[in-house]
Amino acid sequence: MLEFDSVSKAYGPKQVLDDLSFNVRPGEMFGFCGANGAGKTTTMRIALGLVRLDRGAVRWQGRDVDLDVRRRFGYMPEERGLYPKMRAVEQLTYFGMLHGMAGRVAARNAEDLLELLGVKQGPRDSLEKLSLGNQQKVQLAAALVHDPEVLILDEPFSGLDPVGVDALTDALLARCRNGVPVIFSSHQLDLVERVCDSVGIINHGRMVAVGSVAELREREGSRQLRIVAPDAAPGWAAGVPGVRVLSEQAGEVLLELDDPTRDQEVLAAAQRTGRVQHFSWRAPTLTELFREAVAV
Amino acid sequence: MSLIARREVMAKLRDKGFLISSAFIAVVILASALLPALFGGDDSTYDVGVVGDPAGFEEAVAAQADALGAKVDVSAYPGAAAARAALEAEDIDAAVDGDQILVVTSVDGVLQQILDRAYAGVIAAERLSAAGIDPAEVATAFDVPRLDVVSLDSDAQRDQQRQVIAIVGVSVLYGLLILIGQYVAMGVVEEKSSRVVELLLSTIRPWQLLAGKVIGLGLLGLAQLVVIGVVGVGAAISLDVLTVPGDAIGTLAQVIGWFLLGYGFYAATFAAGAALVSRQEDLQTVLLPTIGVLVAAFVVAIQAVQNPDGPLAVVTSFIPGLSPLVMPVRTAAGEVAWWELVASIVLMLLATVALVRLGGRIYAGALLRSGGRVRIKEALAESAS
Repeated sequence: MLEFDSVSKAYGPKQVLDDLSFNVRPGEMFGFCGANGAGKTTTMRIALGLVRLDRGAVRWQGRDVDLDVRRRFGYMPEERGLYPKMRAVEQLTYFGMLHGMAGRVAARNAEDLLELLGVKQGPRDSLEKLSLGNQQKVQLAAALVHDPEVLILDEPFSGLDPVGVDALTDALLARCRNGVPVIFSSHQLDLVERVCDSVGIINHGRMVAVGSVAELREREGSRQLRIVAPDAAPGWAAGVPGVRVLSEQAGEVLLELDDPTRDQEVLAAAQRTGRVQHFSWRAPTLTELFREAVAV
Repeated sequence: MSLIARREVMAKLRDKGFLISSAFIAVVILASALLPALFGGDDSTYDVGVVGDPAGFEEAVAAQADALGAKVDVSAYPGAAAARAALEAEDIDAAVDGDQILVVTSVDGVLQQILDRAYAGVIAAERLSAAGIDPAEVATAFDVPRLDVVSLDSDAQRDQQRQVIAIVGVSVLYGLLILIGQYVAMGVVEEKSSRVVELLLSTIRPWQLLAGKVIGLGLLGLAQLVVIGVVGVGAAISLDVLTVPGDAIGTLAQVIGWFLLGYGFYAATFAAGAALVSRQEDLQTVLLPTIGVLVAAFVVAIQAVQNPDGPLAVVTSFIPGLSPLVMPVRTAAGEVAWWELVASIVLMLLATVALVRLGGRIYAGALLRSGGRVRIKEALAESAS
């Protein structure tokens, strides 16, 4: 298990990470969400030893992450970067060897990965001659070439077209199903909701919500009641005690209840206005959860 | 670390710019060694015409030329008009007609001496034969060895050659320190501006990256230096430009030793400076102070050739950073006590160790900070925290 245990980091007076804790299990795809500047990149950089933490610890399989452990991690930095004048295969082989692989194994992995990810290139092309999409694929390959035990990817999907997103998702899912914990950050919340097993939402350096997507959506406090009562006079719901009206439009209202167990009283109030076409609890989307979480 | 060093070497070996500049340097060095030999060889070969063919003249000329270390090709012309025509066509340098030397403007001193002596010898032999003396006895009588020249300061020529070698050596050293130092700096900025450094530092420590880069490029520089040295000194020795090969090889060895010391010192400075910026465009600004020191060291070194005992040369040969360029000049001039050399090397080593540590810390602290220029203080604070 990859553990972030009470990780804190300050740059001068600015507390960038404040007592941040979460775990990622083997085979778990963890989506890391947060507004710009919330602390996602700093968290990942700490895991890779690029930033020193002030307090707390990062552990993999119970052991503090040091250089030896980190060499078995795969990393895709937010700031993409490879040697522009080196060929993709050589570059990937080099990174594989830096991670401690034998040259021949690294070279074979590099070639396999480029083929798997569908990187189109001439045999003598240096990296800078490839299209941006292909460069991005090579960047991912650099994170995968040494068969890492842990994958940490900072905004891996940014700048990819939908086909590229699918290819990348497939590649990550394949690794994940083989027992590799995968952490990636993204602003594409619909994508996170679709592919991730669990999600962490970070705001101002604190983890404000963490859990499986289903868990988060099912949390009572964040659920909303949707009622369609076409005959009701506008503003009918505002008069019911313990109810907050989130939206009201042409007979359709979206409500939040102070006490969700009193939903039957709300139904009765709705029925007094006339017909009730629709009455249901609705789990919020991740986007809504995110808005709520970071609004604090 | 060796992996990193190897990548640096391979990347440079594949870089056309590097290969072309290396080949260019080798050609320049070879040419500068060869040219004096070519021109020098030209000067001591003469073509001389002789009108008629006085008996024994050609042999006498050959003997005199041999004694003076020159070579004279003699060709006979039937009459003065033919000889003049050949002179004007520059086929020959001079023509001998009876008791006259014909030249276009003036005659080379050595050639005149050869022709004078040959002429005197031939005429004297004729007169003695006419007086009834056996020509064989005449030949024996004229076979007098030349006077030996004994120089009271026998080391003068040797010193002069050693100075020339020292100047060439220090110039090459200076050029290479700047060249390889720039490679280090450009490599650092390339990794920083392409952001590949973030990926690298997740698997290796900053000092390993720095050491690998510096060692790899340093080996390339050393290889260039050795090639230049061997080609230059080898060509000079084989063409007899140098008469004291032992000294040349000694100076070459010294230059190589000082390259290693100076390279450690300057590479650390260049790398630390380069780590402060994120773009190649900003590089020159941060490197300027270091290059300034190198230029100053070179100027002092050239000055020291004239005055190896002067206070400036003596003092600067102990100052780390300046000593790699100044000390080889002083030792080549033969004015250095062994303890001076040791002290200079120790000081340089101490300074290099301190600078590599400091430079390494700046490098580590500034490497992941992109954007504008990082202040040295910030970089040190970052690597210390």
